[in-house]
Amino acid sequence: MYNINFTKYKYFTLSFSLFLIVAGFVVTFVKYGGFAHSLDFNGGLRTVVELPADKTRSDLEGYFQSKNIEAVVILLEKDKNIYQLDIGLGSLDTIESLYKEIPEVNRESSTSAIDRFVQLLRYEYKLPKEKVLSADQVGAVVGGELTEVGITLLLTTLAIILLYLSIRSQFKFALASAIALVHDILMTLALIGFLQIKPSVPIIAALLTLLGYSINDKIVVFDRIRENSHGKDNLAFSNIINVSISQTLGRTINTSFTTMISVVAIIVGGAVELYDFAFILLFGVLVGTYSSIYIAAPISEIYDLIRKKRFV
Amino acid sequence: MQSYRLLILPFLILAVSFTILYPNFADRDLKIVVREDVYALPEAEQKILVNALFERWAKDYGKTSGWTIEPTGTLPPKENPFYTVKGRFITSAKINQISQENQSLVSESKNKLEPTWIENAIRGGKSLSIKLGLDLQGGMRVVLKGDFDDYTSKLKDLYAKELNELNVTLKNPTAKQEEKDKAKSRLAEIESSFDLSPMRKIVELEKAKMIIDNRLTTQNLTEPQVRIQKEQDAIEVSLPGVSNSAAILEILQNTETVEYRLEEPNPFVFKGQIADNERRTMDLGKREDTDIFLFQELVKNKAGKKAQDEFLEGLEKKYNIPKDYKVYAMWARGNSAKSALLPRSFVVLERKIALSGNDMTNAQPSYNSNSYGWMVSFTLTPNGAEKFFDLTSENRGRNLAIVWGDKVISNPIINDPIAGGRAEISGSFSEQEAIRLANVISEGALPIPLSVLEMRFIGPTLGIESIEVGVKAVAIGFFLVMIYMIFYYRLGGFIADISLLVNIIILAALLTLMDFTLTLPGIAGIILTAGMAVDANVIIYERIREEIEEGRALSIAVTRGFENAFWTIMDANVTTLIAGILMIRLGNGPIKGFAITLCWGIVTTLFTSLFLSRLFMELTVNRLGVHHLNLRPFFFGKKETTNV
Repeated sequence: MYNINFTKYKYFTLSFSLFLIVAGFVVTFVKYGGFAHSLDFNGGLRTVVELPADKTRSDLEGYFQSKNIEAVVILLEKDKNIYQLDIGLGSLDTIESLYKEIPEVNRESSTSAIDRFVQLLRYEYKLPKEKVLSADQVGAVVGGELTEVGITLLLTTLAIILLYLSIRSQFKFALASAIALVHDILMTLALIGFLQIKPSVPIIAALLTLLGYSINDKIVVFDRIRENSHGKDNLAFSNIINVSISQTLGRTINTSFTTMISVVAIIVGGAVELYDFAFILLFGVLVGTYSSIYIAAPISEIYDLIRKKRFV
Repeated sequence: MQSYRLLILPFLILAVSFTILYPNFADRDLKIVVREDVYALPEAEQKILVNALFERWAKDYGKTSGWTIEPTGTLPPKENPFYTVKGRFITSAKINQISQENQSLVSESKNKLEPTWIENAIRGGKSLSIKLGLDLQGGMRVVLKGDFDDYTSKLKDLYAKELNELNVTLKNPTAKQEEKDKAKSRLAEIESSFDLSPMRKIVELEKAKMIIDNRLTTQNLTEPQVRIQKEQDAIEVSLPGVSNSAAILEILQNTETVEYRLEEPNPFVFKGQIADNERRTMDLGKREDTDIFLFQELVKNKAGKKAQDEFLEGLEKKYNIPKDYKVYAMWARGNSAKSALLPRSFVVLERKIALSGNDMTNAQPSYNSNSYGWMVSFTLTPNGAEKFFDLTSENRGRNLAIVWGDKVISNPIINDPIAGGRAEISGSFSEQEAIRLANVISEGALPIPLSVLEMRFIGPTLGIESIEVGVKAVAIGFFLVMIYMIFYYRLGGFIADISLLVNIIILAALLTLMDFTLTLPGIAGIILTAGMAVDANVIIYERIREEIEEGRALSIAVTRGFENAFWTIMDANVTTLIAGILMIRLGNGPIKGFAITLCWGIVTTLFTSLFLSRLFMELTVNRLGVHHLNLRPFFFGKKETTNV
């Protein structure tokens, strides 16, 4: 049996997490002025083009990068070299100025952003008109509405979990789980903002998955703590926590490891568009595991300490 | 739990699941129907169309999918005007692609994936294959533009009577100034409602969006996305993997309303004229020339609403019907309850709407055992109830017609004033029609007619490349997890793997049965399910191992291990389930897709880990003579001795 003092560093880990979250959000909002823009959340321009056979995805990506245009390039059909290009609204000004650089002879006057972008593309890639299969300005798939629903959802979920866990076990465990869940979400959001990962439907899926994983993880640890505290009131609560975490450590490592195998497979596999999804999941699994041990357990202990002090 | 007769249960469930999943893997027939008008084209043009299809076939469809098509290279015979495609994994996206690329050859709305025997047997021919979401396979995107001109003209019909009265008051020299002022302001108020501000338009579009949302959810499309495009007064609808765009469009655009209109006063002068003329034509033996016969033909040939409207307007001209009246057809069934609902005669109603669908709510279909037919009862809004009472008390002895869409479905005579705010519509409805009518009343009709501004098929969120790689990666990940479980828990890992596979199979069958549309978040939900299922087994085995280490006999250790782990697994899953149910109720689009797979995944996980694994484990230990269960990893595990 391992004997590690997990709760010894509780004040350090708690402040460390708080620091990371605050730092992440400061960088996000002060340096970048908020989360990255994405087509799914803010809308933007979407075109589908058929490129000459000698052009590849990296050509396109290189071009957009060199011109400082935020673009997502999706390969729709391999045989015909058809790509979908999603351009964020943040790049409209860049497109505007690039459009003005097209020689007069090659450019038709137009006012809409999407027209100008198509002309830019056609000029740059010498595309005949019929190779631009579609082009339109699209609205957000998710966005304002989702953020609102998301927050309501999170709060309601937390409330229900608090209630269920309070009834099934004790309030301190419920409270600690809820705080740890908030911690996980905030930590991941801080990372998304810090790295300016574009929010998208897959990212939402990843966030939801890590939420589910994290709940699961906390409950397993707390169940063991609760079981071990039966009839051991004289034992220091921190000891019980340490023993319980040690007992479940094998399981924690195993489950984290198996989950990570699948996630890493996606990252290594090289599905470009799934990379963000897998990355967030990987981070989520690590954070979820970390917070069960170093956030949730210590918080329940601190709650216990405060309560005892008050009533003694 | 030592009754091994229970073993029959998992096998039964597996058998059922495989049967349900069979259409996904089976060789299937797809009928690609050739448009009728193609046969009327000159041969050279036919050839161009056919060649276009087969060139593409040789280059793409046939090569990558291994599908076959009959007949090859020519037009199918006119008696059987369809190509039969045979193959596995025929997706709606592919069907769409073929149809869209060969629009002048293929009559898309008639394409049909032949149901397999199992679909015929348990679903009456309805599809049982897993549907993929727009983000995975692309699908149809329709932009519908609100027709606000039509909207205002309908509004004018509604206020026709009041406007008339107000104008009379204004022109009346004997009316008091006070009354005139009142009339003036009311007039201004009504007229301002004809003038649509951008704000008003958005409100109407929002209403339309809600109704479309409701209509789509009853069409087995779990994740349609409906959003408003403010810039062009339009509503954008994204439909994953829709193969039959014609039918969906009809449902989307359906502006069916329910209204009450007064019939022309008795004696029915205009109706009489029409009826007399029809009778005369009949007497001459020219049934084919009667207007009602012609109108029925229009309906049977699905000529569309526009053609029907034009026909009725033609009748108004033919019989010189005054502007205040409108000709409608009275629809009914033939002699049996199963015969089709068709126009049977013409009636002439007032142009003004006496009571509109907005005055009615809470409609419910119910079966009327007296007349062996379905009827619809509904509540009137307080305002509507008042109007209805006034209407029925002022017009005793006249007929009040109920107009559904543009069909008159009944025109009962008003005997007494009706108060109380409840009413019912009895017509010769089938169950489906009664439900539809009730929906129109409850959900309301589309407030504005919508015309198709743009319709196209769009690409997936992820490219094919990513999906292929992603599927491969998930499969490899899965495989590695299974290997790891065997490595770590040996025989226990093997049992866990079996229960994991069974879990996924049951889940897939369940989702198929529910007509679930699989999206990227849905897949994330399945991955989480698999993760939690593995975790449940890990928790159990760690418990069993602890029991073994404490020196308990193997069979007791197994039983106690499961018992100790039970509540942990329950708590973890029930909490997640609660979160999932909340997500289904509050979330939309992507969140919902995730939550549905997750919730059902939890149900199957609880079954497989708490029941199935235990059954297998106890069977192994108690019956198959396994006396030593080593739940430690190969290479690292120290030898364990257990008392048997």
